[in-house]
Amino acid sequence: MGGPPRYTWRFDVVLENLPLLLTGLWLTCTLTVLCMLLGLGVGLVVAFGRLSRWRLVRAVAFAYTELFRTTPLLVQIVWVFYVLPIVSGITLSPFFSGLLALGFNVGAFMAEIYRAGILSVNPGQTAAGLALRMTRAQTMRRVVLPQAVTRVIPPMATMWVSLFKDTSILSAIGVIELMFRAREIATDTYRPLEIFTVVAVLYFVLTYPQSLAVNALYRRFRMQE
Amino acid sequence: MADAMIRVQGLHKHFGTLHVLRGVDLAVARGEVVVIIGPSGSGKSTFLRCLNRLEEPSRGRIFLEGTDITHPKVNLPRVRRQIGMVFQHFNLFPHRTALENVMEGPSTVLRMSRADARVRAQALLDKVGLADKLDVKPSALSGGQQQRVAIARALAMDPKVMLFDEVTSALDPELVGEVLTVMKRLADEGMTMLVVTHEMQFGEKVADRVVMFDEGAIIEEGPPKKIFSRADHERTRRFLSQLHWDVS
Repeated sequence: MGGPPRYTWRFDVVLENLPLLLTGLWLTCTLTVLCMLLGLGVGLVVAFGRLSRWRLVRAVAFAYTELFRTTPLLVQIVWVFYVLPIVSGITLSPFFSGLLALGFNVGAFMAEIYRAGILSVNPGQTAAGLALRMTRAQTMRRVVLPQAVTRVIPPMATMWVSLFKDTSILSAIGVIELMFRAREIATDTYRPLEIFTVVAVLYFVLTYPQSLAVNALYRRFRMQE
Repeated sequence: MADAMIRVQGLHKHFGTLHVLRGVDLAVARGEVVVIIGPSGSGKSTFLRCLNRLEEPSRGRIFLEGTDITHPKVNLPRVRRQIGMVFQHFNLFPHRTALENVMEGPSTVLRMSRADARVRAQALLDKVGLADKLDVKPSALSGGQQQRVAIARALAMDPKVMLFDEVTSALDPELVGEVLTVMKRLADEGMTMLVVTHEMQFGEKVADRVVMFDEGAIIEEGPPKKIFSRADHERTRRFLSQLHWDVS
């Protein structure tokens, strides 16, 4: 007889542990929503920072986005969890460390998305707003931002989809999301093949429809232009 | 000129190392229509944009009814309100209908009630011949129609002076007339107007005075008849002959 011994797949083990796996999935979804909200807020502030008329504000915002875009996400997460408490004296749970690191990471990328959206609006629009005696703030709010929104939504949705998958990195610092649960169950049951296969399928099944939705958004908003 | 609406003294504008305006002096009387001509790059548009301070003048002073609007303490929005501007590329707000475009100034800036702003906007769109296009988005309007909406939008702020920056240059030839007609009517009503244009016939018919720009300065000015038929300056004659040659 040649070849390796036949492996017997035991998906019933996965089924037994499904409730545990689903608690992890629930946290994955929660984290995605919270990180996105944090990123949307931080990104908006940073984007306006980068477009500020004050050089110092621009420099700080620029440094922030570059720092987050040029270091690996895993390094950022581990740094916030292990180093930040020692530097600052504030100890955070894995959950909050992960939320902060990932949220601020998303914020850096969102800032670039907002900025590109705002800059893509024709400068003539700002001139027209100012010529009507609107203030700079009114022109931004009533003229530029409404036009930027449609251009920002598709890349924002792309960001969301990759964020959903990236939350799995937080398992590295002990956030009990889907990936962490999977590793836990795999160790307990000695069935990593089944567990990780199911987890991969779960991520795919949940991500693919979102990805389709993103494509639909792109088509829809391109037609509006 | 005692009753000057606008008086410009020694206006300079630099863009980096580029010296775009090199000391412009001009006084415009109340109700006067001044047509500004000159080759591209001669500073005509920059001059207009300095008048409502979309561009910051580098040096020199601008008075609007005797008030120095280049003074650092001046209330900029209030200044801009009195000076309406129409752009070459219309710059209508694409996410708003024609009516909403015209209502924007009165409701956002003048804090008029929506009902009042609507009445004013309707009346102005009617005036520019677009009473039937109130709820149409700019993308569904022709260039000439868009430009007429833009004129109505500027008029909605009840300005004392209107600036027109090559407003027919981006239009198909057959759409130019409808815009010029609206402008002529405005001139007949006594609006003070500064018009940068290449439409020499408009200048001939409507202008009280024609001003020739070259290399950032006014090199010649006078009544349209004189400028167009026997300009003093050789540069002006050459510029005008090139224009006529281009048309025919």
